[in-house]
Amino acid sequence: MSQAIAQWMDSMVRLGRLFRQTFTSVLKGSLRRRRSQLIVQMYEIGNKSVLFITATLSILGMISVFQVLKQVEKIVPDFSMIGPAFIQMMIREFGPTITGLMIATRVGSGIAAEVGSMVVTEQVDALRMSNAKPVDYLVAPRFVACGIQTMMLSIYGVVVGVIAGSITAYVFWNISFGMFLRFDLVQWGDVVSGLLKALAYGFTIPIVASQAGLETKGGSEGVGAATTRAVVNASFAVVILDLLLSGFSYLVLYG
Amino acid sequence: MTSFLTRIGGTVRSLVVLTGGMFLLLMKILRSFVPMACDSRETWRAFYKVGVKGFPIVVLTALFTGAIMVLQSGHYVARTGATSLLGWAAGFAVFAEIGPILIGLMFSGRVGANNTAELGTMVVTEQVDALRSLAIEPTAYLVAPRFLAMTLMLFLLTAMGDLFALVGGAATAKVMLDVPVGIFFQQVVDAQLLDEYWLGLLKGMVFGMSIAVVSCYFGLRASGGAAGVGRAVNASVVAAAISIFVTDYVVALLWGAM
Amino acid sequence: MIDVRHLSISYEGSPVLTDMTFRVAKGTILGVVGAGGVGKSVLLKLLCGLIQPDDGDVQIDGLSIRGLDDDALADLRRRMGMLFQNYALFDFMTVGENVAFPLEQAREDSPQDIQAKVSERLSEVGLPGIERMYPRELSGGMKKRVSLARATIAGANILLYDDPAAGLDPVTSSKIFSLIRRLHSSEGVSVVVSHDIDRMVGVCDEWLVLHQGRIWFMGDVHAVRASNDPVIATLFDTQPQEAVR
Repeated sequence: MSQAIAQWMDSMVRLGRLFRQTFTSVLKGSLRRRRSQLIVQMYEIGNKSVLFITATLSILGMISVFQVLKQVEKIVPDFSMIGPAFIQMMIREFGPTITGLMIATRVGSGIAAEVGSMVVTEQVDALRMSNAKPVDYLVAPRFVACGIQTMMLSIYGVVVGVIAGSITAYVFWNISFGMFLRFDLVQWGDVVSGLLKALAYGFTIPIVASQAGLETKGGSEGVGAATTRAVVNASFAVVILDLLLSGFSYLVLYG
Repeated sequence: MTSFLTRIGGTVRSLVVLTGGMFLLLMKILRSFVPMACDSRETWRAFYKVGVKGFPIVVLTALFTGAIMVLQSGHYVARTGATSLLGWAAGFAVFAEIGPILIGLMFSGRVGANNTAELGTMVVTEQVDALRSLAIEPTAYLVAPRFLAMTLMLFLLTAMGDLFALVGGAATAKVMLDVPVGIFFQQVVDAQLLDEYWLGLLKGMVFGMSIAVVSCYFGLRASGGAAGVGRAVNASVVAAAISIFVTDYVVALLWGAM
Repeated sequence: MIDVRHLSISYEGSPVLTDMTFRVAKGTILGVVGAGGVGKSVLLKLLCGLIQPDDGDVQIDGLSIRGLDDDALADLRRRMGMLFQNYALFDFMTVGENVAFPLEQAREDSPQDIQAKVSERLSEVGLPGIERMYPRELSGGMKKRVSLARATIAGANILLYDDPAAGLDPVTSSKIFSLIRRLHSSEGVSVVVSHDIDRMVGVCDEWLVLHQGRIWFMGDVHAVRASNDPVIATLFDTQPQEAVR
């Protein structure tokens, strides 16, 4: 048990080191000469995730509205605040976090699979032999690309979820779009909180996934293990960050 | 224009092939239970592995999820002063929706991805072919035990997880919102959320089945060495996430219709 | 030129290489042979500092590698080139970009000079004009040769070859080994790890025989032929054994 904790602490230290190295690399302008890599990553992470986010967040919007309306219908049949409350929750919490979890799943495993394969085929060793830094070449472009694209996709996810929810409210309970799509309850604090979460997720996921990839050991088993580790650690990181940021925003607003 | 349509057509076609393939795998799995061709030692081993792997992460996720739900509900409570609704709101969200989904997603990552990686490695290193040459049918020997284990385990883990989420919620309610633990639990009980609890468990079970089928499907289709295994895991977790949401919707609709 | 002293390394508790001490003089082509898979590749990686040993040291021209990280090894690595077992070509770059890579990292030449050197290197290895192709479009032998081009473009004269003939047909293997001889510089050292003893005989000046992670024998071809040792006899007189990967 104590060995597990020691191992965990050790990996946290290494994670912090990778964070610092990547950050320094980006600040030193290492990406200026590698713009094409950045663009490729932005496409891989962002454009290719759009369908996935559309599917998952629209379903989330539909189910949430469906189940909430079913409950509320029993207690107090006043549907006027459901739309605004739903929109506020999407902006503040579910939009960024579910998008973040989806990115952790898709992009996290993708990065680990790619980087892990490169480790196993000795491409990372070859980089080092040519005096190139793996962090500059592999991690930094993914770091920046994921940070930006997660923000974009979170905003997109909120929009998709809200639209899907409003359609459900209309189809099943005849709530007009005008009544549902009101932003009465949305405050600046909600928007800031949501964006902060998206940023935090977007910058953490690629680091966690890259670390899992770079630490791959041994052939196909190793790549499989690294990809699994990436998904688990990235998803868990999202949950922890969500907790911390939710607590933080609560304290700031009402503490 | 035609190339755009061709691309959409291609995507639809591959989706159909994918869903069809997984459905066929499900049929094959079910057939290996009647009569019981499932290897019992493999099954127990699968149960143990899935349980041990899944438990810690589900517990932690559940604790945090409960805490997050209380914090989010807390916004309304602080603004309207309606502390009495805290237990109801958090409990409802956790049992009916957020609990099963988050637990399901974490399970998909921890157990599903692992499963795909294992099976994928076995395929790529020709161990599955070796099984076939020894006249052992891979589905009954490899897939069916994992299917059973994952379905049952996620059901149990969701049941436990929901309760752990309440613990996390109660702790947060006390620390951040000054709502005593006893009152919080009383509110949850008063809200009469038993129906929602069962709904959540049903979802958990269905998620377990989907994750099992999806992860085995992609694992068995891995090809192309180490990179292929990585790609298989990637595809598997994405498909599992989609299937979680889709089945969530279907189950919620069916439940609501009853 | 290369001075190895009491080099030891273990992996997950079991020893891989134990107490290796040997010297490679300037101008030598050293062949490293022995049964089994892991130890020989690890030795090459230890020689260029990609892995650090548990014990012992490697000195290249008097400079000790022990404890140096990638930044500190940069100067030394410019004089070294490695041919990896699976070619390790960057699959997200074209052939031209792959071969140009070490020069672009050094940032000493202009883009035009780099282009010229790339085409010269590719011609040298018998693959002129394929700069725009991607590694996945090439055959195994072609990828090996591109990898050789990349390893030698920056004028490296300490060349390390990890199983250069693995997975190649006999004709292509022979071509690779002639290239190894041609690329060898009398100012430098070449170290070749392989199981293809027959082809190595025509190329290597000296031999290092490893057995169970230790040095079993070191000497030139005549000493090998004159030896009565059973381990050496297995390696040199019977069919070369392919290691199980």
